Amino acid sequence: MVSASETLPSHAMPPLPAGQRLRAWLYRNEAVRGYLLLSPTLLVMVGLMVLPLLGMLAMSFFTQKYVTIDYSFTLDNYWTIFEPSSTPAYFLGIPFYLHKPIYLLLLFKSILISLASTAAVVLLAYPMAYFLAFRVTKHKMAWLILITVPFWTSYLLRVFAWKIILGYNGVINSGLVSLGIIDKPLEFLLYNPFAVIITLAHAWAAVAILPIYVSLEKIDRSLLEAATDLGDSRLERFLRITLPLSLPGTIAASLLVFIPTVGDYITPTLVGGTSGIMIGNVVQSLFSKGNNAPLAAAVSVVSMMTITIMVCIFLWSVGRSRMTRREI
Amino acid sequence: METKRDIEKFIDEIKYGRMTRRKFARAMASVGLAVAIMPTGRTRALADDSVPTVFTWSGYDAPEMHGEFDKKYGKAPNFSIWGDEEEAESKMRSGFHPEMVMPCSYKVNKWNDLGFLRPIDTARLEHWPEIIPALDNVPDTVIGGKRMWVPAWWGLTSVTFRTDLAPEYVPADKHTWGILWDEKYKGRLSMIDSLIDGVMAAAIYSGAKDPFNMTDAEVAKLKELMIKQRPLLRFYTNDNTGWQQALASGELVAADSWNDTILNLSKQGIPSMFMIPKEGPMTWTCGIAMTAWVKPEMENMVYDLVNAYLSVDTGIYWVNTFGMGHSNKNVYSHLSADELTKRGLTPGDIDAYIKAGHFQATIKNEPVLQAMYEEVKAGI
Repeated sequence: MVSASETLPSHAMPPLPAGQRLRAWLYRNEAVRGYLLLSPTLLVMVGLMVLPLLGMLAMSFFTQKYVTIDYSFTLDNYWTIFEPSSTPAYFLGIPFYLHKPIYLLLLFKSILISLASTAAVVLLAYPMAYFLAFRVTKHKMAWLILITVPFWTSYLLRVFAWKIILGYNGVINSGLVSLGIIDKPLEFLLYNPFAVIITLAHAWAAVAILPIYVSLEKIDRSLLEAATDLGDSRLERFLRITLPLSLPGTIAASLLVFIPTVGDYITPTLVGGTSGIMIGNVVQSLFSKGNNAPLAAAVSVVSMMTITIMVCIFLWSVGRSRMTRREI
Repeated sequence: METKRDIEKFIDEIKYGRMTRRKFARAMASVGLAVAIMPTGRTRALADDSVPTVFTWSGYDAPEMHGEFDKKYGKAPNFSIWGDEEEAESKMRSGFHPEMVMPCSYKVNKWNDLGFLRPIDTARLEHWPEIIPALDNVPDTVIGGKRMWVPAWWGLTSVTFRTDLAPEYVPADKHTWGILWDEKYKGRLSMIDSLIDGVMAAAIYSGAKDPFNMTDAEVAKLKELMIKQRPLLRFYTNDNTGWQQALASGELVAADSWNDTILNLSKQGIPSMFMIPKEGPMTWTCGIAMTAWVKPEMENMVYDLVNAYLSVDTGIYWVNTFGMGHSNKNVYSHLSADELTKRGLTPGDIDAYIKAGHFQATIKNEPVLQAMYEEVKAGI
């Protein structure tokens, strides 16, 4: 590209004052203008996301020496996580041949809990979004606002609410006891991985409903009519038109729920009991009580990388299956 | 009403399109700047630089806790509240510099190594001669001949249990930590989720010679015991309200807990008891330390504040409200025997009562134990 000033002979223009020259340069340079427009967001992102992430990455290569940190480069923290061993530790019958299996084992467990919650969230959210998009004709705004109502209270309170619902003397137990169905409160409701899954599923439901709703809402209704005209049953119509076209929203919803829940630590702390511990709890305790920030950083880096890889594989496979379908 | 007119003019200009983009941006920028500056201006106005800042647990800032100081200076000190000592540690590491902190005895060593603390001259504390002798020489608080910390409150960590649900443990000679390993009460037991109050309790039960400085063999034995215990537990928790409610509802039969638990249970009329186990309870003491950041001109004031916290009046309020012990021995004559028993304290010889327990000290092989504890909790 040739800039405007080069096309004119320089002696034809009287020299401009510095301020105007700067302004002229600003107006001409599109990239600079773009970045300037972005700059508030960009500054926040760099300052509050990129720098801390780089700091954490750097930290994972250091060593904690009691109260000080040894800043010489080492991979020891990663070795601690991956060091193999000949005697396995078992989780759900799967052997982990690791010297310190706790980190990868808990990461694996966290991913399973998170996948289960994501599946639960999407299965719950999809019918609600469907209803909103296709059945609700009046007061749509009011319905949408109603869906966001759980978000008006803090996340912590929503988790506590589940403690009250599932608790020993909680809503479910006292209800069942007073109905005479059981004579002793059920103990298996709270303080286990299922309590974590239920709580996560409820807490994140609204996050999932909105993107699915948007993609359902966008579907061209004439496509559905066409499918019916051409002899599709309701189910076929749903599977061939509605579901594929709402896939982008569903995928976005799954990612929105899956990514943050893997590292969640407050939910397992409050409702997980002895068996509901997740990777976030270990990172938290390494940072504070364990007094080993570098190892905690390494564990965080490993879990972030794992999640990134999982998400990439997921997106790649979705993209691939769509492409192959189009080729047919 | 100059401002009102300005605002009206501003609104009119927007309404009739007389507002230029530049003018609007300028107005918006000044609002933004004002909003951004507001918080800094306010905290400056609130924090009084002339009095010391105390960094401590919530509840310890009540006016009754430092009455003597307030009377002398006509104002209260500044307070900053921590959630737990680990959080406090990282906050001070990253540049928060209070004048006074209130850690428990086992933290003193580390905080001294971190360079947070400065020695206290007990000769300058009026109430120092009134301190319970058993608390005079708490392990790891006198470092290199210098007293880095003074005891202010103490209590016991032991088992609180429901006497109606586990009647066989009621006789005094049946009191044992073993109830927390009793298969009969599977799923209705709980442990405190920390090395010092949880794992060390298990260490006492395991029969380790010195729970705070165990040999490798003793650690292995302890781990086995804790693995055995995990399936019996309802939860590991740090939340004393949580275990109190669970005991009250009958969800828990017995809980590793602090002596104040019994006060809240008896207030609700729930039949319960605080054990003095045959293996010995655990004694904890928390107190006060001056930080390395005390400016010379503030030194006298900080000493007065430490002194106020050690006074009898503070002690009476403390025992009554929180149900734990205070380090001033003259407090107990002001309280009835019944009130003391209700809190898991003793109307008898306080000194002997404290000495009967295992005194919490700095845990020697802390990183190893912490790693072991995480593995046990994760079920490995």
